[in-house]
Amino acid sequence: MEHLRWIAAAALSAYASYLAVHHATPIDAALPLLALAVTFLAWLSYPALMLGVPMLIVAEIALAEETTRLIAIGAVMATATAVSLSARARGERAEAHPTFVALIAVVILRWIPFADVLWGREILLLILTAAIVIVLGRTPFAVAVGVITALVTPAIPMRTLWVPLAVLIVAAAARAVGMPALRLTWPSAVLVGFVMLFFAWSGIVARAFPYFLRKPVTVKERWTIAHALPARESRTYEVPHNAKALILSGANVAHLRRGAVLGRIEPGGITVRIDDAADWGYLRRDAWHHAHNPLPRVSVGTIREYGYSAWVDGAGRVPLPRGARTIRVTADAKLPEGASLQVEGFELE
Amino acid sequence: MIVATVIALLLVPPLVLRGRTLLSYYGAVSALALFAWLLARRIEIEPYLGCVALAVLALVTLSIFIANGEQVRWSANRAALVAAAVYALAIPAMLRTPIDGDEPFYLLQTASIVGDFDLDLSNQYAQRTAAQWKREDITEAQIGDPRGDAGEQYSRHEPFLALLMAPGYALFGLHGALATIALFGVLLVRSTIRWMEDEGVSEAAARGVFPLFAFAPPVLFYATRIWPEVPAAFFFVEALRGVGEHRPRRWLPALFGLVMLKLRFVLVACGVGFSPRGPAKARPTWIAIPILLVPLAVLWFLTGDASSVHTWRELIPTNPMRYLTGLGGILADGMSGIAFQAPFYLFALFALVRWKRTPRGFRAGMLASLLYLFYLVPRGEWFGGWAPPLRYIVFLMPVLALGIAAVWDELSKPAIAATAAWSTGLVIHGLAHPWRLFHEFTGENAIGEWLSAMYESDFSRLFPSFIRLNEAAWWALLGIAIFVFAIRKLEIPAIALAIALGFVMGRRPADVVQFEDTHVRHESGRIYPDPYTLMRATYRQGWVLDAGHEISFLAREGTYTLDFITGLGATFELAGRAYSVAPDARYQTVQVTIPRSGRVTLRCLTGGINLDRMERR
Repeated sequence: MEHLRWIAAAALSAYASYLAVHHATPIDAALPLLALAVTFLAWLSYPALMLGVPMLIVAEIALAEETTRLIAIGAVMATATAVSLSARARGERAEAHPTFVALIAVVILRWIPFADVLWGREILLLILTAAIVIVLGRTPFAVAVGVITALVTPAIPMRTLWVPLAVLIVAAAARAVGMPALRLTWPSAVLVGFVMLFFAWSGIVARAFPYFLRKPVTVKERWTIAHALPARESRTYEVPHNAKALILSGANVAHLRRGAVLGRIEPGGITVRIDDAADWGYLRRDAWHHAHNPLPRVSVGTIREYGYSAWVDGAGRVPLPRGARTIRVTADAKLPEGASLQVEGFELE
Repeated sequence: MIVATVIALLLVPPLVLRGRTLLSYYGAVSALALFAWLLARRIEIEPYLGCVALAVLALVTLSIFIANGEQVRWSANRAALVAAAVYALAIPAMLRTPIDGDEPFYLLQTASIVGDFDLDLSNQYAQRTAAQWKREDITEAQIGDPRGDAGEQYSRHEPFLALLMAPGYALFGLHGALATIALFGVLLVRSTIRWMEDEGVSEAAARGVFPLFAFAPPVLFYATRIWPEVPAAFFFVEALRGVGEHRPRRWLPALFGLVMLKLRFVLVACGVGFSPRGPAKARPTWIAIPILLVPLAVLWFLTGDASSVHTWRELIPTNPMRYLTGLGGILADGMSGIAFQAPFYLFALFALVRWKRTPRGFRAGMLASLLYLFYLVPRGEWFGGWAPPLRYIVFLMPVLALGIAAVWDELSKPAIAATAAWSTGLVIHGLAHPWRLFHEFTGENAIGEWLSAMYESDFSRLFPSFIRLNEAAWWALLGIAIFVFAIRKLEIPAIALAIALGFVMGRRPADVVQFEDTHVRHESGRIYPDPYTLMRATYRQGWVLDAGHEISFLAREGTYTLDFITGLGATFELAGRAYSVAPDARYQTVQVTIPRSGRVTLRCLTGGINLDRMERR
C-alpha cells in the first residue's frame, strides 16, 4: 500500500508538472522528470521533500525571467538532493539509498536535453557510477565522487568512459588496502548541491568549472566586427569613442595550452594569449576531450543550449590601450595552419 | 541590521542547541550562506529582499533544528529568548514604512498620556504629533470618534493599550512602544509553551509547534506592530492557565487586562467565566458582571460614552448567510483567511474533529471563544478591516496552537512542510514589504493580482473571496474539508495538481469580468470608489469610463449581462458593437455579445459609465 501511494504521488506530480510547463527551454520541458526525481528522493529520505514538486511548479509559473527561473528550479533540485544525501535512510531502503540518490543526480545532470542522450553510453555510465558508490561504501562522499565523475565524463568519444572506469579501479584499490568508508556528509552535500544548483547548464559546470563561481560579466553593448585573422594577418580598426575593450576568441586553437600567443594589439604592445581568449567552441561536448584551453580570465562568451549540452563560447575581454583612436590587431605568426584569431567586436560602455 | 542579524544568527542558536546539533546548524547555515552568495551573483534580486529572505531561511533552518535536533536545550524561557531576538530584528523591518491602520491612533493616545496626562487628542491633532512617525496626514480624528462635553476629542480605541505602552514610549518613543508590544509577544510565547507543558503536550510537539506559532503569521506581525491583539492573546492564555489551575491571582488580573484592551473581548471573558473549567464557586454571574461592568465604567469615566463606537444592536443575531460567509472567510478567504494567511492553523481542524482527545485547556479556550466568534463572523469587517490579516482572531492563536500540539504526532509531515513553506513565504513577503500586510478589500489578493498582472488574465477568480463572494470560495471550503478528512497521504501532489490546474484555468478567459480587477488593461478611466474609502467593501466597486476612455480584457465568446450605473447616459463600444444606455439613478443591466473569444476592448464613445461587472449567461 505504501509503495502504491508513492507511485500515485509520482504519477500525480509528473502530471501536474506536465500541465504547468509554460516556457520553451528543455529544462522547462523536463519538469515532469524533475518532479519524478524529487518524488523518488522524498521516497528515499524525507517525505517532506515532496514539497519540491509544488515549488518547481510555482517557479515555472511565477518566474518569467529565464535565468532566475532556471536557477530557482536548480535551487529546488539542489536542496532536494543535498538534503536527501545528508539524510540517514531508514528501513529497507537504507542500503540502496545513496546509490539511488547518485543515479537520480546523474540522470538530472546528463539526460537533459533528452534528444542528445546517447542511451547505451549513458546506461553504461550509470552502471559505473553505481559501482563507484557501492565500492566507496555507499556514503555521501561516495555519492559525491560518483556524481562528479559522471559529470566530467563527456562520453563523446566513447573512449572517454575511461574516466569513471579509472576512478572505479582506484576506488576499489584504495578500499582493498584498507581505506575507510569516508562519510564527509557536509562537504559532499554542498558539492553535489552546487552542481545540482546549476544543472540547467550542467555542461558548463562540467567543462568550465570556475564559470559559475565567478561574478558574471555584465553583457554590454557590442560593436560587431567578426573578422578571423589567420597567422601573420593584420588589420586596423577605428575605435568607437565609448569602447573600452576588445572581444577576441580563437578558431581551431583548442589544442593550445595556457599562455600560447594568439596575436598582438598595437599601440601598447598587448600580447593576446590563450587565457585572455580561448577557442570559440572548445567547450562543446564533442570538442572538449581534446581541448587544452582554460576558461578565459574574463569570459564574455554567450551561454548556448541547456543541460549537459550547454556550453559557453571562448570569447574573452581584452582592455584597449588608453586613448587609442585606432588599433592594429595582428595574428601571431606561429598560429597553426587553419587556426585564426577572431576579432568579434568592441565592447561599448 | 545585517550586522545585528549575523550576530543573532551566531549567538542565539547556543541558547537552544548544543553539541553536534549546534555544529550541524552552523554547517547548514554556512551552506545556506554559500548558496545565497552564488545565487546573488547570478540573478538580479532586490538586495533588501534577498537579505530578508536569507535571514528568514536561516531562522527556518534554526527552527528545523529546534524541532528535530537531538541535542536541544528546551524550556519555555529559552523559547522566549529566541522569540525576543527574532522580534527585536523584525521591528526595524516593520518600520520600513510608517505605522498604519489603528497604530498611529493608539500611539497618539500614548503620546497624550505621556505628554498631557489625559486622553484628549485635540492638541495632538493640532500639533501634528503623528508627523514624527511620518504620518503627516493625520491631522484630525477618525469619523465617529467620541467627543467630550467640553469639546475634548477622544479616540474610539480603548486606552489600556496606550497606558501599557506609555513607559516604553516615554523612554524611547515609537521604538519603546513597539518594544512593549514585542515584550508581550515574548511573554505570550513563554506562557503558551508553559501552557503546553501544563496540559501534557510532549516536548517534541511543543518544539515543532513553537516556530510555526511564534515566527509565523499572524503572531509575528502583530508582535512587532502596535495592535492590542498580542497583549490580548497573552492575557487570554494567562486567564485560561489560571482558570485551569484554579488560581484567581492569575486569571483575575489576566481577564481584567483582556477586557480593558478591547470592549469586544468582554465576550471572550464571559466565555471564560462560563467555561467548564471555570472556578465553580465563581461562575458565571460573579465573574461576568464585573467583567462586563469594569471596562464599560472605565470607558464612561474617561470619555463619557460607555459603549465607545459600538451599539447594543450589534448583539442582535442577523442573517444566517452572513454567519456562513464570515466563518468561511475566516477559514478560507484569499486575502484574509487562515488557509492563505496562516495555513498552519488549519491543523486546528484536526484537533477539533478529535475533540475528546484534546487537552482540556484547548477545549476551554475554544468554548470561551464561541460567543465572541458568534458575534464576529456576521460583521461586515470580519476580515479585520485595514489591518494585517486575521486581526480579530489573533488572540485565539495560542489556543489553536495548543490543539495542534496535542495532535502533532498524527499530522502528516509533508503537510506540515507545506504549511511551513507557505508560512516562510508569507514571512519573507511581510517583512520585506510590510505595507503589503494591508490590502484593500477588493476581493483580490496579492498573489492573484501579481499573476493577473503578469499574464493579463483573471487569476484572482481562482482565489476564494468571501468579501466579494466568488465561486472559488465554495470550492475552497470543499478543498479544506477534503484536506482534513480525505487525502492525508497525498496532500502535496494534490496541492501541486491544484496549482497546475489553476494555472491552466487562470490563463483562460473568465465567465465573470470585474472591471476594476488587475487583469483588466486600464488604458484610461478611474476606479470606483476611490482607494481607501471608508467601508469600501460595502460598495459595488467598478471602473468609471468617460467619453474617449477605454479598457480591454480577455473574454469568452457568448452573451453576457453587463451591470453598470450611469448618471449621464452613455454610448459604448464593446468588441466592435455599439450600445446606448439611458441615465438612471440605479444600477442597470444590459445584454452584450462577445463574438469571438480573446482580448476585447470596451470604449466609451459618449457620456460616462460606471462599469460594475459582466457575467456570461
